[in-house]
Amino acid sequence: MSTSTEMSNSLSGNAGNGLKTAAGEYLTFVLGSEQYGIEILKVQEIRGYDAVTQIANMPSFIKGVINLRGKIVPIVDLRIKFNLGKVEYNEFTVVIILNLNGRIVGIVVDGVSDVRELREEHLREVPSLVTRIDTKYIVGLATIEQEMLILVDIDKLMTSDEMQLMEAAVH
Amino acid sequence: MTVDMSQFYEVFFDEAEELLAEAEHLLLGIDVESPDVEQLNAIFRAAHSIKGGAATFGFMDMTEITHVLENLLDKIRKNEMALTTEHVDAFLAAKDVIKMQVDGHRHGSDVNAEQVSDVAMMLKSLSEGKAAVAAEPVVVAASAEAAPAATPAATAAAEVAKTALTITAEEKAKGMTLYDVGLPTVTEKDLANLKDELALLGDVEVYQRSENVHAVLIKTDSSADDIVSICSFIVDADALVIQVAGDAASEPAATPAEAATAAALVEAAPAAEAGYGFFDNDPIIKTETKADDGRVQVAEEMGYGLFASNGEEQQEEGYGFFAPFKPHPDAPKAQMIGDDNAAAAMAKAKAEAVATPAEAAPKEERRQQGRRETDKPAAAQSAESTSIRVGIEKVDQLINLVGELVITQAMIEQRVNALDPVDNEALINSVSQLTRNTRDLQESVMSIRMMPMDFVFSRFPRMVRDLAGKLGKKVEFVTSGATTELDKSLIERIVDPLTHLVRNSVDHGIEKPEVRREMGKPESGTLTLSAAHKGGSIVIEVTDDGGGLNRDRILAKAASNGLPVNESMTDNEVFSLIFAPGFSTAEVVTDVSGRGVGMDVVKRNITSMGGHIEIRSALGYGTTISISLPLTLAILDGMSVSLGKSVYVVPLNLIVETLQPRAEDLKTVTGEGLMVHVRGEYLPIIALHALFNHPTQITTPTDGVLLILEADGKKSALFVDRLVGQQQVVIKSLETNFKRIPGVSGATIMGDGSVALILDVPAIIQMGQTTNYVTGGMAFSNQNYLTSQNTINA
Repeated sequence: MSTSTEMSNSLSGNAGNGLKTAAGEYLTFVLGSEQYGIEILKVQEIRGYDAVTQIANMPSFIKGVINLRGKIVPIVDLRIKFNLGKVEYNEFTVVIILNLNGRIVGIVVDGVSDVRELREEHLREVPSLVTRIDTKYIVGLATIEQEMLILVDIDKLMTSDEMQLMEAAVH
Repeated sequence: MTVDMSQFYEVFFDEAEELLAEAEHLLLGIDVESPDVEQLNAIFRAAHSIKGGAATFGFMDMTEITHVLENLLDKIRKNEMALTTEHVDAFLAAKDVIKMQVDGHRHGSDVNAEQVSDVAMMLKSLSEGKAAVAAEPVVVAASAEAAPAATPAATAAAEVAKTALTITAEEKAKGMTLYDVGLPTVTEKDLANLKDELALLGDVEVYQRSENVHAVLIKTDSSADDIVSICSFIVDADALVIQVAGDAASEPAATPAEAATAAALVEAAPAAEAGYGFFDNDPIIKTETKADDGRVQVAEEMGYGLFASNGEEQQEEGYGFFAPFKPHPDAPKAQMIGDDNAAAAMAKAKAEAVATPAEAAPKEERRQQGRRETDKPAAAQSAESTSIRVGIEKVDQLINLVGELVITQAMIEQRVNALDPVDNEALINSVSQLTRNTRDLQESVMSIRMMPMDFVFSRFPRMVRDLAGKLGKKVEFVTSGATTELDKSLIERIVDPLTHLVRNSVDHGIEKPEVRREMGKPESGTLTLSAAHKGGSIVIEVTDDGGGLNRDRILAKAASNGLPVNESMTDNEVFSLIFAPGFSTAEVVTDVSGRGVGMDVVKRNITSMGGHIEIRSALGYGTTISISLPLTLAILDGMSVSLGKSVYVVPLNLIVETLQPRAEDLKTVTGEGLMVHVRGEYLPIIALHALFNHPTQITTPTDGVLLILEADGKKSALFVDRLVGQQQVVIKSLETNFKRIPGVSGATIMGDGSVALILDVPAIIQMGQTTNYVTGGMAFSNQNYLTSQNTINA
């Protein structure tokens, strides 16, 4: 937990500097055949997927809103957003509830795997790539038991205009 | 021993502001010709309470002005002086000054010292003006006893010096005074209490003057007023006789220093024969020693017991003790330094009194009540305020929790209803009991936030009065429905728009007296402010019988401003034009002028509160501006409707009616633009499933239900699948964790725990006009919606 303060600095996003500060505990989850990791401290809880209230005229990856103990929380399906995995909703579908500076958002993933402590030496920089997920939202890559873990700056990703979860920034 | 007084400042400021508001309200309501004694008393009490508080906290500037104010009020109250409008004006000015001082102390805002001294001078001169003449007929009961005391005084002084507390020259130099406090008949217990209380001020010595008559010697650096205020919790302050014993006592005492050392707690010799008056020596109550001999005799014979029988005069006069208030110069200093035990103790005692206003206030009230009962049993006591101050966030938290409880309860109810009613009878009964209890709880909790509209209305009489005076108009201000309750947050937010509307009505609505005369109207215009419940909302109306809005001029002005207008617009639509931002320039056509100044802001404020605003006007007869607001921001009376598998909530107050259309009532224009013919009107049909791109089986209006909605003076028919039911829903914001969604004003949690969206009816009506129903309606987009709104508002 001693790294928690530095971890929030990783929001600065620059992958070079980010690597040093990106060390810490990560929740890893599966999207399709890929492993992703997000800072554990951003995660509020993990729950199953149940009835979501649809919202009119939203992009398909915004599933709608749910009632989380009296709070209205939007649910985003990252599988649809990044076109990964088979999109089906059953008793194994998992929703990770994130708390991003007080804003609560749920993301639908294929499954949650583990909590990993990552040290600096595990981390690698992201090469320049053209992918569905902009590399500016990727803090770095890590190798754990021959598997590659994609570390996502979930805060930055969820608050981006791309996700359409927030009021469009007024310029 | 230091006491941090600053922690009690807020309490005092709050109280002072409340008292000032109350005083102003009373002043404005007072009938100058025959003022109600009760009202005068209430105003006096307000001034007095502020003075007391200010003195406690060392706000000497406030003490001074409230003191002169109180003096003048006291004279009027006792009929020594007739109330005139001049007085009322002076009082109002004084109220403003005190408010300024309160703000000065509270927020560090500027205090205009010149204005303060002007008002003080005005009050003083008013108070002196007729005082000499008026004072004659009133016999001062307290001073009546003073006169015969001239001879026994010396004896008494000697007695005191011999046996009881004395005061040395050094002590006097330090600001100590020895008071002799004559008490009315009190019980042993009260006497002991009193002694304990007074001990907080300094050294205390109780001695008996005669059977059942006691007196207290007290050596303190506090003022006589402090003694009175301490005593007033136990005995009737009016029955106290306070004298400075020090002067008399120290001279005959041969060895004052010795006496002082021995002074501690020597049994005091009865000093009954001393009489009660040292008033000649008394620098504090000097002003009242003019007395008429005949009456003095009577008073003297009757002794202290006469207070009750001598009735009102004495009772009223009792306040005279407060009048020549002399703030003790050392008091605030001593509190700060904290080196003086007595002063610190006093500060503590006072602080305690302030810290527990809830406790102290009723005591004070009881004291006054008790007294009044003996004097004037018929006198009605002003409503006692027994309230506590609670932080708004605590209340909000409570409301949220109860909201959750209601949802949970509804979920339980739903589950239970699915059970076999025979097997589970007991459970079902218990749950229905729970349902009732929860509803009651919710209602009570919601009512905590409710405040009467009077809170807002009460500030207008003054404003209208001032404004009318300034503009040379005659305006009669009438309010109705001031007891109508509204959520506190709405109350606070309605003040500004309403102020604007009232000012506009006085400024531009109501004509000058000569104009009104020419038009055959009474010279004095009437401005009515009313509030009433109407369905699930509260309707606040500002009505004037002035010139009214001129439709043609508004149209001409709108056209010249480039607004899209035409002759066929309804009056309602034309009048709504004045809410357009373009109209808020100063040099609009005269008789509509000002009606537009900032009206766009008014409208925006009202809309943001979930309300809407409407204008009714007849040229030459006046204008009514009607604001309709939801009762509270947290709960909504809604109609739930189904669409496919989803449920939406429509605010009930915006639904005019619901109907299932017949095929022959459905009309189109060029095969599109579906309309329904209802009671002679053609209303556009907005298909919710098309607007929201929501899958449903029911796509023909004849299979579903039409809700006739009305918002912003526009009607439309919303086509949905089915009506589900009417219910109160707790509004949840979508924006907390998500964002604003066009056509949706919020969300709520239904009985089964699912989320239902609440429709934003005005937005949907707007959206409906940009959406083509027949072609699927997907012309709509966020961008489209915004621009369409702009063109309509512009």
